[in-house]
Amino acid sequence: MVRLFRNRPYLLYLTRKAFWYLVAFVAAVALNFFLPRLIPGNPVSVIVGQMSAGAVESATLERLYATFMRDFGLDRPLPVQFWTYLTGVLQGDLGTSFMLYPAKVWDVIRQALPWTVALQVPAILVGWILGNVLGALAAYKGGAFDRVAFTGSLMLSSIPYFCLAIIFMYLFAVHWPLFPASGGYSSGYFPEWSWGFFLDALHHYALPFLTLVLVAIGGQAIGMREMAIYELNTDYVNYARKLGVRDRRVVRYVFRNAMLPQITGLAISFGTLIGGALVTEAVFSYPGLGSLLFTAIRQVDYPMIQGITLIITLTVLLANFLVDIAYGFIDPRIRAGQAGGR
Amino acid sequence: MPNVVEVEGLEAYYRTPAGDDLKAVDGVSLAVREGEVLGIAGESGCGKTTLAQVLGLTVRKPLYIRSGKVLLEGRNALALDRETMRREVRGKTISAVPQGAMNSLNPTLRVRNLVIDVLRDHHPRIRRREAVERARERLDLLGLPPRVLDAYPHQLSGGMKQRVIMVVSTLLDPVLLIVDEPTSALDVTSQKVAIKLLVDLLARRIIRSIVFITHELPLLRHVADRIAIMYAGRVVEVGAMEDVVFRPRHPYAAGLVGSVLVPEPGMKERTVTGIPGRPPDMRRPPVGCRFAPRCPRRFDRCDRDPPPFVVDGRKAWCWLHRDAPHGGRP
Repeated sequence: MVRLFRNRPYLLYLTRKAFWYLVAFVAAVALNFFLPRLIPGNPVSVIVGQMSAGAVESATLERLYATFMRDFGLDRPLPVQFWTYLTGVLQGDLGTSFMLYPAKVWDVIRQALPWTVALQVPAILVGWILGNVLGALAAYKGGAFDRVAFTGSLMLSSIPYFCLAIIFMYLFAVHWPLFPASGGYSSGYFPEWSWGFFLDALHHYALPFLTLVLVAIGGQAIGMREMAIYELNTDYVNYARKLGVRDRRVVRYVFRNAMLPQITGLAISFGTLIGGALVTEAVFSYPGLGSLLFTAIRQVDYPMIQGITLIITLTVLLANFLVDIAYGFIDPRIRAGQAGGR
Repeated sequence: MPNVVEVEGLEAYYRTPAGDDLKAVDGVSLAVREGEVLGIAGESGCGKTTLAQVLGLTVRKPLYIRSGKVLLEGRNALALDRETMRREVRGKTISAVPQGAMNSLNPTLRVRNLVIDVLRDHHPRIRRREAVERARERLDLLGLPPRVLDAYPHQLSGGMKQRVIMVVSTLLDPVLLIVDEPTSALDVTSQKVAIKLLVDLLARRIIRSIVFITHELPLLRHVADRIAIMYAGRVVEVGAMEDVVFRPRHPYAAGLVGSVLVPEPGMKERTVTGIPGRPPDMRRPPVGCRFAPRCPRRFDRCDRDPPPFVVDGRKAWCWLHRDAPHGGRP
């Protein structure tokens, strides 16, 4: 074991990281199980309540209640339930949804996931890139450009997602009905690979996408601007200029170094992917994971909540792990520090 | 001998964010001759770093030159365009070892790549391998380990960083090297090594002249040929090193010399005296001699009129020497 890592500090660094990510994953899996169960309300009561909209005999209701409790395994002690959940997760079985009984949780998630990924990943990337370019330009140009860009970014980043979403919906879906106000596609269409559907989906995509991009631009631009201003005034920049190094190259030094913390920002953005999407998707009734989680929490659907939070956990951990790997390549100081050598 | 850089009647100001102007260098005329080490000494805030920026032709906002001439090898340096300045002057005619050498290397750039960037931006056709080879030879010549080329700055000690910067700064064999407080963050051993390296660079004729800025007068005794003493934005005395250190004319220069401990024979009998008081507020400098409020030899006239400029082989801006021959305004 020791021999394996000798002269391979980077491998040691990655192995250590991987170990800690595993620990974090185990802890998260446990929390995923217990946290939903702290939500007040009994899921079976909710379901039985919905079924008994017409007056049904109380004995029938009680039988129904007992059947569901047994089917969902909720009558068994918590440790047993936890064990069932753990073995299920390890076998890739996320269980059966309560609210959409008898649909499997994974099948429901599988249908919602592409919508969220297609909405969030491009929005985060576009927002991140545009935000960094804007922040860097603001820092480099200064003056009026900086003041406008900075104030604008500050405003955008401090507006909550749902607020901007509602403003956009009012302006561009109600006041000027340019875009549809809700849904992922029109009711006449059915998800399929066709131009008609694609264009219709794109039409529905515009407003939620714009909301997410704008908020992301604001936050990233502010961070990048601060970093770039700091880097532009460092001694190494002045020294490089005194040596007659071209401006273009000096700017490249600055932005490379200013980008380092921004990469962590990107990972965190991916981490908050569904968190941010939840509200935006809910406002626009977008058929993604956010809307699904929102409904699941209202219906106290334990397996569904667990399934979705598990996906979120995995995304966060994976994004952070990838950033850790990337950091090792980009920043020699981190590599040295983490490997415990020079 | 010709002058490398020369300033005449220089007035340099800093523009504060509030829009006020702060005079940092006031009516200074000074020449750096080829082949000499010119020391510039003075307290913090006396304008020595500002003067160094002008001499090094690295003036940039918020600093600006309001009036005066700046000559580079006899030609008007202020008329040079940006690109010529970058390619022909910076690093090549005038180079610098900056104040705060600890942070002067880009933390994510290997020394090797800085060397490549510096050489390629002056000789576009040079190959990466040639550039590195040139740096390796230079390091070897100066007794530094060539392996520093592969290091990142955080892998070098403070003293080594300083020496590496001195080598990188002189890769293009500049005529003049401006060193600003090169030893302020170093321990005495590293200070000595750094000074030795500077002397070595001169001896090997890699560089021809040095402007050495410091607040440590004793250091200048070992390296400087001439010394200029600055006070409140003005050069108050200029002369050969021995004259300024051992026979200072200006009371401020005398005060500076008297405020340092020098371990040498006769030291025990001398008392170390500081200079009481503080430098004046540069927004409202005294009308007469700027040193008058702190001067032990002040008389009435000092408060009223700016002191004259005395030439008798030496220059000191002080009323005490008004009877010297050839007196006059600068």
